Amino acid sequence: MKTLTCTLLLGMLIQPAAAGWKFDHKTSIGPAQRPGVFHHLEGAGRKHIAVSDGTIAAIWEDDHSSDPQVFVAIKNPRDQQFSAMQMVSSGEEAYEPAITALGKRRFALAWEQDGAVYMRSFSNGQAGKPLLLSEHSASHVSLASSGEDFYAVWRQQQQRNWRLIVARLKINDTGTLSLLTRHPLEDRQYQHPVLYPSIAANSSGIMLAWEDRESGHTRLKYSFSDDKAGSFSSPQNLNEFFSNRNQYDKGSGVTRVSLAPFGEDEFIAAWMDKRRGGVGYGIYTAIGSEGSFGPNEKAHGEKGDQLPHYNPSTAGNRAGKFAVAWDDFRMGNADVWITTYNEDDEWSEDQSPAVASGSGEQAYPSIALDEHNNLHLIWLQRSSPDAPTRLWYSKGRFD
Amino acid sequence: MNMLSRLHFFTVLLCFMTWLPAPALAAPPRGYDFLAFDKALNKSAAEQKPMLLYFGRYGCTTCRKMHQEVFTDPALREELSSDFILAYVDTESGKRIRLPNGERTTEMAFAARNRILGTPTFIYFSTEQKPLFKRAGFQSIEQMKRYDEYVASGHYKNQTLKAFLGQS
Repeated sequence: MKTLTCTLLLGMLIQPAAAGWKFDHKTSIGPAQRPGVFHHLEGAGRKHIAVSDGTIAAIWEDDHSSDPQVFVAIKNPRDQQFSAMQMVSSGEEAYEPAITALGKRRFALAWEQDGAVYMRSFSNGQAGKPLLLSEHSASHVSLASSGEDFYAVWRQQQQRNWRLIVARLKINDTGTLSLLTRHPLEDRQYQHPVLYPSIAANSSGIMLAWEDRESGHTRLKYSFSDDKAGSFSSPQNLNEFFSNRNQYDKGSGVTRVSLAPFGEDEFIAAWMDKRRGGVGYGIYTAIGSEGSFGPNEKAHGEKGDQLPHYNPSTAGNRAGKFAVAWDDFRMGNADVWITTYNEDDEWSEDQSPAVASGSGEQAYPSIALDEHNNLHLIWLQRSSPDAPTRLWYSKGRFD
Repeated sequence: MNMLSRLHFFTVLLCFMTWLPAPALAAPPRGYDFLAFDKALNKSAAEQKPMLLYFGRYGCTTCRKMHQEVFTDPALREELSSDFILAYVDTESGKRIRLPNGERTTEMAFAARNRILGTPTFIYFSTEQKPLFKRAGFQSIEQMKRYDEYVASGHYKNQTLKAFLGQS
C-alpha cells in the first residue's frame, strides 16, 4: 500500500506542467504613457500586428500629436525594442488601421483618413507613397495576404447605399503599390449598413466575413473567392441565430468578426455573440474550408460563462496552428485571454498571459502567429478606466 | 374623398410605410430628441437638467418592444422630453464620442466600460451629471414614469429609489 501511495505521489510530482502559452517579458511600443494620450486598437478584423521573415510590425491609432493619427513601429529579429514610431496617416484625422505581412520584411498598411481609405507599403523602415483605395465615403478597412497576392476590403457609402469593396493589389521591388482590381463584393447595394468586414487569404482562396443588418438585426455573413477576388460566392450566414421569443425577436446579436487563415486551406472566424442571453457576449467561432464554415463553437471555457467577453482577435499559420484572443473581466478588471485547440481538437482551457493580466486593465488584444508557432501579442494597458493608455508587446510560445 | 377611397389611401400609405427601410443605424425611439452621449452630457451640465442615458442595440428584441409599447405613450414622451436631456448609445456602434476625461472612444467601448450586459439599459443622472441608478430590461410605462418622478422631482436627494417606489 505504501509503495502504491508513494508511486502515486511521485507521479503527481513529476507530472509535466499543463500545456499552454509561455510569454516573454513585455516590451513597450509607441509614445510613453502620459495624461491625455489614448491609443486605440479597434480596426476591422483586429489585425494590428504582423510578422514578415522575423520582423514584427505593429500599427495603431493614438492622439499624442493632438489629432488622432495612425502610427507604425517595427522590431527586427535582433532588436530588443521596437523602432521609433512613424506616422503613416497625413490627414486631419485617421482611425481604425490594419496591417498584413507581404514577405521579405515588407508590410501593407491601411486606415481610414478623413472619410476615405488609404494604403501604404512599409519596408526597411520606410513607408511607401500613400495610395487612395476608396472612391466614395469609406471606412472599416481590413487586409490579407497570401504569397505574392494581397487584398483589401472596406465598406463604402454612396448616398444611402452601402457596399463592400474588394481590391487586389501588388507591390514591386521598390515598394510601390499598384491596384490590380477593385470592385464591389456584390452587384446589389444595401440600404442598411454593412460593417466591420474581415478578410483572410490562403492558397485555397479569399474569405470575407462582415456584419449585415438587412434582416432587422445584425447577422454575420461570409463569402469566398477561389479566383483571386475575381468573383465571390453568394453570401452565407456565419453565425447560428435564434428568433422565436415574440413578434419583436429577429435573432440574437453578433458583432466584430475576426478571420485568419491556417494550414493550407482553412480559416478560423471568431466573433462576439449574445446568444447566451443576459450575460453579455460570448466568443464564438467557426472553422472553414473549401469555401464554407462548419458549426459554431463556443471558444471560452465555463469559467467565463457568466460574464461578457470583448474584442476577439484571431491568428493562424501554415503549420496548422491557430489561436483566439479576447478580453474579459472575470478577475475583476479586464485581462487578455487566449485559447487554441488542444490535441483532441477541442478548445483548450482559457489562459491569461501573466504579462497581460493583473492589476489595472489589459484589453484590446491583437495577435499574429509566425511559422515557428510563436504567438505575437499586442494589447492596451491602463491603470484604471479613465487613465491614459500604453501599448505593449510580448511573444509567446506554446509549450 | 369618400370612405372607401380614404380607406384605400391609408392602406396604400401603410403598405408604403411598411416597405420603407428601417433607419439605417441602430436608433432610439422615434419622436424623441436623443443625443450622442457627449453632446447630451454637455447639454445636461449647461442646462442643469438631469440626463437619461439609454443603451440600446440594433435588432435588440426588448428595445423594439419598448419602442412599440412604451415610448409611444404620448404622456411619457412629454414627460421624458421636458424633464431630461436624453442620450442614446448603440452598444455595437463604432460611432466616436468624447468622454469627460478627454478620451476619444466608441459607443461600443463606452458600453463595455460601463459593463452593460444587455439592452435596453437605462442610467439616470442627476443635474450634476452623477449616475443615480441603472435599470436593465423591459420597463413599463408606469415604471418609466415613476423613475422620471423620482429624478425630476428631486426625490433622489433625500430617499433611495427603493424607498420611493415602496411608497406607491
